Amino acid sequence: MKAFRFILALLLSTSFSSGAMAADVVKIAVTGPFSGGSAPMGVSMRDGVKLAVTQINQKGGINVGGKTMKIELIERDDEGKNDRGALIAQEISSMGDIAAVIGTVNTGIAVMGDKYYVEKGIVKIITPAAGSASMTQWCIAGATDLPIFRFAAHDGIQAQMVVEQATKMGCKNVAILHDATNYGVSGRDDLVKQIQKQGGRLKVVAIEKFAIGDKDMTGQLIKARAAGAQALLIWGIGPELAAVASGKQKLGFRVPMIGGWTLSMSNFIDTAGPSGNGALMPQTFIEDESIARARSFIQAYHKAYGVTRIPSPVSAAQGYDAALLLAEAIREAGSTRPSNVKASLDNLKVTVKGTITDWKKPWSKWDPSNVETHEAFRRTNTVMGKVQNGRVVLANPADRIVLEGKMLKN
Amino acid sequence: MNTEFLALAQMAVGGGLMGMAYALVAYGFQLTHAAGKAVNFGQGELVMLGAFAGLSLSTAALPYWVSVSGAMAVGAALGWFVERTAVRLALQQRNEGWILLTIIVGLFAVSAAENIWGREDKPFPTPWPEGALEFFGISVTWPELAIAAGALGIMTLVELAKRYTMAGIAVQAVSADQDAAELCGIRSRSAISLSWAISGMSAAFAGTIIAPVTTVGPTMAASLTLKAFSVAVVAGLDSSFGLLLAGIALGATENISGFLLGSGWREAPGLILLILALALRPQGLFGKKIIRKV
Repeated sequence: MKAFRFILALLLSTSFSSGAMAADVVKIAVTGPFSGGSAPMGVSMRDGVKLAVTQINQKGGINVGGKTMKIELIERDDEGKNDRGALIAQEISSMGDIAAVIGTVNTGIAVMGDKYYVEKGIVKIITPAAGSASMTQWCIAGATDLPIFRFAAHDGIQAQMVVEQATKMGCKNVAILHDATNYGVSGRDDLVKQIQKQGGRLKVVAIEKFAIGDKDMTGQLIKARAAGAQALLIWGIGPELAAVASGKQKLGFRVPMIGGWTLSMSNFIDTAGPSGNGALMPQTFIEDESIARARSFIQAYHKAYGVTRIPSPVSAAQGYDAALLLAEAIREAGSTRPSNVKASLDNLKVTVKGTITDWKKPWSKWDPSNVETHEAFRRTNTVMGKVQNGRVVLANPADRIVLEGKMLKN
Repeated sequence: MNTEFLALAQMAVGGGLMGMAYALVAYGFQLTHAAGKAVNFGQGELVMLGAFAGLSLSTAALPYWVSVSGAMAVGAALGWFVERTAVRLALQQRNEGWILLTIIVGLFAVSAAENIWGREDKPFPTPWPEGALEFFGISVTWPELAIAAGALGIMTLVELAKRYTMAGIAVQAVSADQDAAELCGIRSRSAISLSWAISGMSAAFAGTIIAPVTTVGPTMAASLTLKAFSVAVVAGLDSSFGLLLAGIALGATENISGFLLGSGWREAPGLILLILALALRPQGLFGKKIIRKV
């Protein structure tokens, strides 16, 4: 009888492998740009998620309502293009057996595509897209029940830090440079809002924009210099940020460049070379093995993907922690049904030890009048990073305790 | 000097230097048009492939000059290949199929580059020093100077070769009158192949000098073909000196209009100038009116 059962199981698993598997796995979709200008963030995020999933599966999987299930990832490359991202969201939300989605780098894609998830009630953890609009759109729409959660230091926090930094460095006049995408435009608005909020101590003397693909930024920089800017506050992605840095060097315009966390992208750091040194940006994670909490993750990532430097450390760490949190939510829900997963993400009981910090109830029940209910990061989780000879280091060594996780969010 | 003027001068100089790269690509059009009466509408993609070839060779730790020469050899081979596969047959059949065929070869090149090298923009290493030089308050970087020197250098070399080598004179003879040249014992087919190879070589070289300024990516040449073609048409298809002037003028106009009107308007005035030039002097600003006697 035992032998018969074994043969039957064997037959089933070979001939109907896909059908038999479907019931025993938790399907999680990972979407993001795995090619194009935003690829360092997309690829690092995906690889961070994969690393967490591999580790969970090696231990057997997730205990879902008494049954141990392995996680299966479904990957989709949105190429950073809004229309493609929206198509992928439609595809995934119609699959029917997806437990949750992790991903999205480009704010425009969250704005165009997330409605399909909301319609079907599918849980999505947005990481690492930071543009404010991807969450505030649901406040404006007045959504009462939201399955979208963010796991990234949103631009509101980042703009606050950038303005604080410029003030701390003694700047009076600043220029804002931004790209013409949803991300750049909403970053500009966040900066202007923050400057007012912090008492208007900074004066914006120039606001200049540039397009994706622009290589020559001298025009914008000449105007910023002529207006007397003492710092550039900048919102864009890698290749164009690099063009700004080299234009600055060409003109001998030596003012600090402070901007969104995209200044930590490898395609900024590599293309800008020495001209990128000193650029400042908010970070939730620093690739520094001397930080005890981060060490094992960094080493595992380097080993798994054969690199000595993570293309976008923040994306990788956020992807990793997001996957851990999602796995815990599915365990607590005891089900892979999106509505149950959402309910347990709203109210996580167990503190999850991540590589960024100890996550103690990162989200709470959605309230459209308070976007922070579905935002995991606060100002206290975030530090200033600085580009130095091809890597991102802590701008302020005293911030090390934040990354060690000794300052828990309140 | 007042700052407003200085800013405009800075924009004009930066644009003009980049415009010399347009001129070099346009020169490739001129070469093949003279000999074979056809041009490669995938010329921009040859620029891109040349840049990638140079990048691959220099990541293989070859010295800069070897990588550039290697890229030029690849470009020459590709130019020859385009003529052989996309142009010759169409011209023999006296149809205009080569226009579409060269565009198709260009599209293939983009797909191939995406699959071989990926879609990311990559920096192109050079031995030039970091930082910029300043002339009368105008900053110029070493890679920008390299574009000017490279474009002038390669065009001068090819022009000299056209005048003082046997092969060059043969190409000129074929340009003037293919049948008469053949009666003198010149193999016009080889002469045309040679001009396509030289055209491909100059495109690849253009790629290696543009790339340090713009970075290398499969779409780096997306608008380059059109701009270079405008330069070739405005200058006329038989004056290499005119090409340089038209290239510099287009590059400078683009930069200045981007500065004054906003970066979205960069391309517009250049295109308006193109239309005006075509309306007023259809043979090109520096072109000769060809009188055909029947």
